[in-house]
Amino acid sequence: MNKSISIARYHPEQDNQPRLQAYQVQSDHSTSVLDALLQVQQQDPSLGFRWSCRMAICGSCGVMVNGIPKLGCKTFLRDYPDELTVSALAHFAVEKDLIVDMQPFLQHLNAVKPYLINSEQSAEPHRQTPAQLAKYQQFANCINCGLCYSACPQFGLNPEFLGPAAITLAQRYNLDSRDQGKAARMPQLNGKNGVWSCTFVGFCSDVCPKKVDPAAAINQGKVASAGDFIISMFKS
Amino acid sequence: MQQLQQDIIVVGGGGAGLRAAIAAAEANPKLQVALLSKVYPMRSHTVAAEGGAAAVTLTEDSLAAHFQDTVSGSDWLAEQDVAAYFVKHAYQELVQLERWGCPWSRKADGSVQVRRFGGMKTERTWFAADRTGFHILHTLFQTSLRYPSIHRFDEYFVLDLLVVEQRIAGVLAIQFSTGQLVQIRAKAVILATGGAGRVFHYNTNGGIVTGDGMALAYRHGVALRDMEFVQYHPTGLPGSGILITEACRGEGGILLNKDGYRYLQDYGLGPETPVGQPKNKYMELGPRDKLSQAFWQQQQLGLTGDYQGHAVVYLDLRHLGKAHLASRLPFICELANAYVNIDPASQPIPIRPAVHYTMGGILTDINCQTSISGLFAVGECASVGLHGANRLGSNSLSELLVFGKVAGEQAAAQAEQANIAPFSAVAGQCQRQQSYISSLFADSCSDSSVAIRTELTLAMEQGCGIYRDNAGMQLCLNRLQALKDRFQQLKVTDNSNLFNSALLQHLELGFGLDVAETICRSALARTESRGAHQRLDQGMTTRNDTDFLQHSLALRQQDGSAAISWQPVTITSLPPAARHYGSQASGSPGNDTTGSSQ
Amino acid sequence: MSDKPVSNKTAPGPYQPVMHRYWWLQHRYFRLYMLREATVLPLLFFIGCLLYGLYCLGQSEAQWQGWLAFMAQPWVVLLNLLAFIASLFHAKTFFELFPRVMPLAPAGFMIAGQWLATLLVAAGLIVILGGWI
Repeated sequence: MNKSISIARYHPEQDNQPRLQAYQVQSDHSTSVLDALLQVQQQDPSLGFRWSCRMAICGSCGVMVNGIPKLGCKTFLRDYPDELTVSALAHFAVEKDLIVDMQPFLQHLNAVKPYLINSEQSAEPHRQTPAQLAKYQQFANCINCGLCYSACPQFGLNPEFLGPAAITLAQRYNLDSRDQGKAARMPQLNGKNGVWSCTFVGFCSDVCPKKVDPAAAINQGKVASAGDFIISMFKS
Repeated sequence: MQQLQQDIIVVGGGGAGLRAAIAAAEANPKLQVALLSKVYPMRSHTVAAEGGAAAVTLTEDSLAAHFQDTVSGSDWLAEQDVAAYFVKHAYQELVQLERWGCPWSRKADGSVQVRRFGGMKTERTWFAADRTGFHILHTLFQTSLRYPSIHRFDEYFVLDLLVVEQRIAGVLAIQFSTGQLVQIRAKAVILATGGAGRVFHYNTNGGIVTGDGMALAYRHGVALRDMEFVQYHPTGLPGSGILITEACRGEGGILLNKDGYRYLQDYGLGPETPVGQPKNKYMELGPRDKLSQAFWQQQQLGLTGDYQGHAVVYLDLRHLGKAHLASRLPFICELANAYVNIDPASQPIPIRPAVHYTMGGILTDINCQTSISGLFAVGECASVGLHGANRLGSNSLSELLVFGKVAGEQAAAQAEQANIAPFSAVAGQCQRQQSYISSLFADSCSDSSVAIRTELTLAMEQGCGIYRDNAGMQLCLNRLQALKDRFQQLKVTDNSNLFNSALLQHLELGFGLDVAETICRSALARTESRGAHQRLDQGMTTRNDTDFLQHSLALRQQDGSAAISWQPVTITSLPPAARHYGSQASGSPGNDTTGSSQ
Repeated sequence: MSDKPVSNKTAPGPYQPVMHRYWWLQHRYFRLYMLREATVLPLLFFIGCLLYGLYCLGQSEAQWQGWLAFMAQPWVVLLNLLAFIASLFHAKTFFELFPRVMPLAPAGFMIAGQWLATLLVAAGLIVILGGWI
C-alpha cells in the first residue's frame, strides 16, 4: 500500500526554518515510522535522522509524529490512516531535518550526579531486597530518548529546567538503598531549575515509551525537597 | 584539519569501550582519555543485550565447570588460558558493576539472583530483568561521568588509524555534526567498536553494527581471527530479526514446530524435558548453534510454520503465566506486542534464527594487545579467544567487562611509557585520507550504497548462512568481488558538510565489504564442520581435529583481498572431546551423535 | 493561533524553535492541563463571596440581607455553580495525581485516607461555622 508522509526538512546551509516535504512510502501492517524514514532516505540520501536498534531500547529515533513525541521504531503507520507528519523533537534546537541538539539534555543529566555515591569498598555485592529494588526500578528504565523534554512545556519555556529525565535519574539514585549521595544531589533539585519548575502537566509520563513515569519521579522529588527544606530549617 | 592530543583513545562507547575508559582513568587519573563514538554512548548496541552476564556464583558451581562449558561450547576452539582468566575474573567484575549501581535482579533475601542459560551446566547468569545490557550500558555510562579525565567525543566517526612503523599514533576521525576531519594523536588506542552482524540480511543487530573497527585494523595488516564463526541466535522475530532473549527458554519457554511438536528432541538435545521444568543443557537450553541448526533441518523437512512469508517456529511461554512474564520478561512482552502483535501470555511467539554475534574479530593476545604496538581491541570487535567456534549466551557481557578492564589497564601502562608521535609522521597519511574523502563526492551516481548493501547482505545470508557449501560460498565470494568493484565507482551524492549520513553509510559499507570477504574466505578455507560453521559438502560434515583444531587468520594482501593462514589453539587442561548435550551430557562419552556431526 | 513559531536564527546553524503564546492550545493534553489550572479562577470568586458574607454578618442585619440578595442573583448562582463543578473536576485530577507522588504507600489506602480526611475536615468546618452562626 502506498502512503504519503510529510517530513519537516531543515538544512541549515539552505533553510531559515523547517519546511514540510511530502514523500510516498510503501506501507504494510508492520511498517514503523522509522521504516518509512529509511525508505525516504533511499529516495533522498540527504534526509538526516538518528536511529540504531529499531527495538525501542537505544533511544535514538525520537521524533514528533503529528505533533506528539514518539519513538519512530515503536510507532506504526497503520495507526495513522489519515495524514502523517514527522518533525524534529520539539523544544530542542534543530541541527538538520530530524536531528536535534542533544547537548542540553546530556548537560542536565550530568548535573544531577547520576551515579551511585557510596564510599564503602567491598569485594561482595550489597544486599538489596526485591522491595528495595522496586522502589527505584521503574525510574532506572529511562532510555534517554528525550521524548519527555519535548512533551514538557516548562522545558520549552525554560531550557535551564533540569527536566523530566534528569530529575528522574536523580530520584532513581536517591531512592536506591545502596546510595549515600542524596545530600549531594538535593541542591540541584531544590534550585530554581529543579523540581519546583515542574507544574505537574504530566504529559511527560504520557509520552514515555518505557512507562518510566517521570512526572511521578519529579513530584516525589518535590516531597523530598520539601522534607529537605524543613530539616534544614531545624538544623539552622 | 583540527589537531588534538590525548594519552589514550577509546574508539566505541559501548560496554567494552566504557569499561576500558573507566579502567584507564582509574589506573592513572593523570592520563587524558578520549572516548570516541559514532553515536552517543547510551545508543551503543550493548543496550540491546537482554539475557544476562555469566559468572560462577552459587556454592555448588565451580570455575572449572564454567571453564568446561565455555571450552566445550566453543567446540574446543577457545584459547584455554584466556577462558581460565575469564571465568576467574567474571564474578568480581559483576560485583564491581553492582557496586556502581547496576540494578541486578534479587532473591528475597537481597542477594543476587542467577538464572539458567543455554549451554551452561548450572545457573550462573546474572540479570537485570530482561534488560541486562541496557542496565550494564547505562550504569557504565553514568559511572563514566564521574571521571574528569574521560573526554567524550560523541558522534565522531573514525576513518582511519594512524600508524607509524607498526606503532599506533592516533586516529583520524570525522565529526558528524560538522563534517570536519579531526586528527587525534595518542600513545595508545583501544578499539571497542562491536561486531559486524549488519553484513547479514536478517540480524538482531542495530544499524550501527557494521564492523568498522575490524576493518580499520585489518586494513593496517592486523589479522582477523575465526571470522567464519557467525552466531545465529535461534530466536529472532521474523522479518525484523529483533532479539527475543534466550532467557525466555531459561525461564522455561519451549520451542514448537508448526505441528506443536518439540522438535529439538530429534537433534540430540533430548529426551524431552517436562514443560515448565527446564533442565540445563537439555532441549531448549542447548547451545545456540545446535538450536539454529535444528531450525534449518525442520525447514528442510517442511515442518516450519509461516509468518507473513517467513518460515518460523514458535516460542511458547504461555505456561509461565502473566505475572511471571511481567516480572521476569517485561521487555519481551513489550516487543512481542509491538512488533508481531502478540501477547506471549496467550499466544506463542513466531521466531526464527537471525545473525546475532561475530565470534571472530581482531586478533589480540590475552592482554588485548594486537600486532600493532599500542593498539588494543576488546569486546565483539576483538578475538581475544574466548568464544572459539560458538559463544555461549551470557558470556559476552561478562567478557566486555573482564577484558574491557584489561584493555584499559594495559593501555594506561602503555601510555605511561610511550611518546606521542610527531605530527610530521602522520601528516602524509591524514592528507591522503582527506583527498580520498573529497574524491568521494559527485553530483550524481547511477549506483547507490543502499543497493550495494542490500546485495551484500543477501549474498552473505545465502552463501554464509547456518549451513554452508563450497559452491554457495564460491558464488558469494564472486558476488562480493563484483560488489567491491561497484563500490570503487560509487559516489556520495549528498554534498552537505553537516550530519552527512550518506557519507558515513558509504564508509560503513566499505568496511562491511572488507569484513564480509574475510568471513567468506575463512569459511571456504575451513573444510570441516565446527560450532557455528556447518558445511554440507561431502567429507566436511564433521569436526576434523587433525587438520582444523586451529584458528583461521585472515590477513589483507597487497591487492586488497584476504589470505587465510592458521594458528594453533592454546590447550591447557581440557583436551578435545565430543560436545554432548541432552542425555549424552551426563552419560558416558560414547558415540558423538550430538557433536558437530550433523 | 495565528502566531507561527518564529526563529531567532541569524546565521546558518541550528534552528531554535520558540514556543508561541498559544502552545497550550496545541493538543488535548495541554488544554486539559490548562483547564485544571484554570479551576482556581471560579474558586477565587467563591472564596471572595464567602469572605464578603462573613464580613457582612459581622456588620449589620441590613448588610447581611444585602449579601443574601447578592448571592441570589442568577449570575452569582451560575458562577458559584461553576466553582462547584470546577472544584469537583480539580478533586478528580488531584486524586488521580496524588498516588503517584507517594513512593511506597499503597495507593488505594492513601486515596481512601485522603477522602476520609477531606470529609472529616469538611464536617468539622460545618459544625464550627454552624455553631458560630
